[in-house]
Amino acid sequence: MKENRENIFQKLGRWVTRMFMGPAYEDRMYRKSKKAEEKKDGENKPDDSELIVSPGRQVLQRFFERKFAVISVGVVLIMFCVVFIGPLFMPKYYDAYTETTQKDLPPTMSFMKVPKELQNDIKMIDNYGSFTVGLSNSGKVYVWGITRIGATGLDVKHIPEEVQNAKIEWVSAGIDHIIAIDENGKFYGWGSNQFGQYAVTEKVLSNPNLAPVPEEVLDGVDPDQIQKVTSGYQASAILMQDGTLYIWGNKQAYSNIDSFIGKTNMEDVDFTLNYVVGLTKDRNSVFCGVRGLYNTARAAIGDKGTKMTEFLNGRKIESVTATTKSICCLLDDGSVALVGDFPTDTTQVPTLAEGEYYTEIQGGAYHFTACTNLGHVYSWGGDHFYQAEAPTGKITNAAKVYTGSFQSYAVDENDQLLGKWGLKGYLFGTDDAGADIASRVVAGGRVTMTVGAIAVIIEILIGVTIGLISGYAGGWVDILLMRIAEVFYSIPLYPFMLILSSLLAQASLTQNQRLLMIMVILGVLGWPGFAYITRAQILVARESEYVTAAQAMGVKEGRIAFKHILPNIISVILVNIVLSFAASMQTETSLSFLGFGVMYPQPSWGNMLTRASNATAAINFWWQWLFTSIILVFTAVCINTIGDTIRDVMDPKSSNDK
Amino acid sequence: MGRYIVKRLVYMIFVFILLTFLLFLLYQLMPANRAYTDAKTELAGLKNSLSAAEQDTKFQELYLKYQRRYGTDTNNKMILYLRWLGLYPFYDGKCNGIFQGNFGFSYQHNAPVVKVVGPAIRNSMLIGLISEICVLGVTIPLGIKCAVKKNSRFDRGTQVFTLIGFSTPSFIIYILFIVFFCSILGWFPVSGMKTPGSTATGWANAKDVLHHVALPCICLTFGSLASIMRITRASMIDALSLDCIRTARAKGLREKVVIYSHAWRNALVPLVSIFVGGFFGIISGAMIMETMFGFKGMGLLYLNAVRTADYDLIMFMQVIYTFIGLFSNLVSDLCYGLVDPRVRISK
Repeated sequence: MKENRENIFQKLGRWVTRMFMGPAYEDRMYRKSKKAEEKKDGENKPDDSELIVSPGRQVLQRFFERKFAVISVGVVLIMFCVVFIGPLFMPKYYDAYTETTQKDLPPTMSFMKVPKELQNDIKMIDNYGSFTVGLSNSGKVYVWGITRIGATGLDVKHIPEEVQNAKIEWVSAGIDHIIAIDENGKFYGWGSNQFGQYAVTEKVLSNPNLAPVPEEVLDGVDPDQIQKVTSGYQASAILMQDGTLYIWGNKQAYSNIDSFIGKTNMEDVDFTLNYVVGLTKDRNSVFCGVRGLYNTARAAIGDKGTKMTEFLNGRKIESVTATTKSICCLLDDGSVALVGDFPTDTTQVPTLAEGEYYTEIQGGAYHFTACTNLGHVYSWGGDHFYQAEAPTGKITNAAKVYTGSFQSYAVDENDQLLGKWGLKGYLFGTDDAGADIASRVVAGGRVTMTVGAIAVIIEILIGVTIGLISGYAGGWVDILLMRIAEVFYSIPLYPFMLILSSLLAQASLTQNQRLLMIMVILGVLGWPGFAYITRAQILVARESEYVTAAQAMGVKEGRIAFKHILPNIISVILVNIVLSFAASMQTETSLSFLGFGVMYPQPSWGNMLTRASNATAAINFWWQWLFTSIILVFTAVCINTIGDTIRDVMDPKSSNDK
Repeated sequence: MGRYIVKRLVYMIFVFILLTFLLFLLYQLMPANRAYTDAKTELAGLKNSLSAAEQDTKFQELYLKYQRRYGTDTNNKMILYLRWLGLYPFYDGKCNGIFQGNFGFSYQHNAPVVKVVGPAIRNSMLIGLISEICVLGVTIPLGIKCAVKKNSRFDRGTQVFTLIGFSTPSFIIYILFIVFFCSILGWFPVSGMKTPGSTATGWANAKDVLHHVALPCICLTFGSLASIMRITRASMIDALSLDCIRTARAKGLREKVVIYSHAWRNALVPLVSIFVGGFFGIISGAMIMETMFGFKGMGLLYLNAVRTADYDLIMFMQVIYTFIGLFSNLVSDLCYGLVDPRVRISK
């Protein structure tokens, strides 16, 4: 030991030792080095480094001297904790989660980063997909969130020059475009125009599936006469105070857009994911141009719906607000009527205090946020990202609320931001189904590690037993068992696995049964390695004195094999367990990568990388494979380091070389 | 020696038959009923106005005809297997199986399986041989150097790389290479054997093929570099700690002679099976690499056959795989005798 001071790794090693072996052992083990220092100082105390330690302890001691091995143990333990305990902390996670508006988003935490200049001066905030657009009272437009539109190379952050110079009065964001209207009524748009979102071109006019922007809008509308500007997936609408509606966009995204074109008696309009919904001047039903679609209403999520006319019972609808699949109607008595479907994971509509009523309701992708006449804010509806859990008690002077798809913002009467809640972003981005990769990495790690571990356990159980019997019994039993092992060894692994898992695909198994079968197949095909190693060790051990002694004492054969010999060769098996664990994980990931192991939607570290086999996708959506790969490789490196180190420290020859 | 080989060959045939029988039983589970689909197709092709009952009898007739032609007119698995081998006569009294040279017919490719597999084996071998030679050319000198200079800075650096390489599933290495060389640098094409539609011949053609094959080769080489490197180093270290090496050094032999003649010979013994297995594995193709590059080798052929349930092709390829596995075991056992004079296998 060259240094006097313990470095961090030695300290860590000592702590782990204490954790497993108790303070007494730690003291004894680490006193050695202290003694050596004291001896250097000239004191002539007896040196107990010469004391005989049992082989097991010596191995352990030498293991903890290697800092990389100790780090690896720590990393693997942390990894285990994360993948096995981590899922307990993500109760809202489920495998088959998909979200159309959140596909292929790069890692970010900027969804709620309202620019500083805007925070005290909010005129409006709008969002439909991954980016949010904000407008200040001075007419300046701000954009935040993920502003790059897929792989198109467009970036809505590049606000056109003319928009920057103009004083903007209205602004609205769709899934991939932004529209704005300035004080003179001039209409602007930027982002993607593939479906005629903001500009009329030859291509747009020639496509019967697109509704072009009305000429009145292009000519300019009086901004003071506008009641509402809103955008949906690839469509937008402008509603005038006199009830005239201008609506345009992709008819394939909104099939009922035709029923709205040219309407002049509208009170309100909004977009769900698939339908345009509106409110006509008679204000007693949700208008969507499809008979009976949004015709039942309820007062609370989960209630049995009643017919809209019965539910209203003479009351009138003030406004409609739409999320992906549901609509919330604000009634003239300040209560709400819920229409449509809600996801399973929701928070309930709050019950208001006496005399309190809703003044404004805004809808996100699944949740609604409302403020009341007392300045309180409430959220309800879809709660997958905790977006429907409003800080109700903390905010008492809210005048307006705005929502993003999974965010909410509360603003007071001076247009100052009071609070924001909901989804901050995705640490590792999202995959092609719109699911959060970080949580899939945790869930996939659990699958991959479980498969690896169980496969190795099956390998050990079969392999060690057969190796023991074969090595100890000898004779024709040995020959027979080794021939069987050879047959299994000759089976080409990948082709055979492919066949078996394609057979599994035809048998209608549940996800977990299929997983179990994969583990069993991996284990059953992998055992000969263990059998060979065990047998070779047994052949050596069988000749040792302690076995002869046991035989002389009349111990039963089986007992000798399992109780006397097995503990003596366990160290060699241990090394192979660790290395096989890493190898099984690799086999599983490779199979899943090819599409024959764990199948979507169940995540595994292998099938999460499938998309990267396409070179263009691999570079465009780098986050979809990079993080998972790094974690996978890092885990495997640590496991292999542990295996290597155990082998090194248990090899009596290696100590001389050091 | 001769007797040993004969003994091994007899045993090999026994295992081969056992394995193919097991695989055959397994494939019987696959839901592919050719007689049924063919009968349906022919029935649909008949332009007539038969009543439902007549159609049914006609179908039964056709179905039986096809079943007899394909030899599936029995449920006895043993008979089915023997028919496949060509040892049991079909309905028409003739044997038509592997022993008669009929390996089957690929329905996806609409050609006899032998014709389908031929080019695939050629492609796989072309790329496999190049990369295998590269792997051995790199790992053997490097492994020996690391073992001789154990725990030197060079060895430690190499060790870190091999540990990472060994722990990385090969497909991640391929992804990295594709992203780096194809997408970022743009040096190599992403897939295929040659430029689509190219009619170049001679030198230009060779250059084109080489350009396409280069990256798969590099990937394949890097994919298997680490594990072979580790094994080479480990067995060389073991060999260097043998008593005979100490004796050789004590005799005053030159270090080169000690390492390359004494130690390397001993280190080769455990390596032989891996090297031999590697060379035979070339024929089986590299499934993941071929899938990622769209390289028409054995691996991709097999994968597609499994995906489309091309029954005869799968069975034939599985036979090839099994045969290669068993044969390479035999060859590596024989090679033990060549590299290790102590092993006298004829005894």
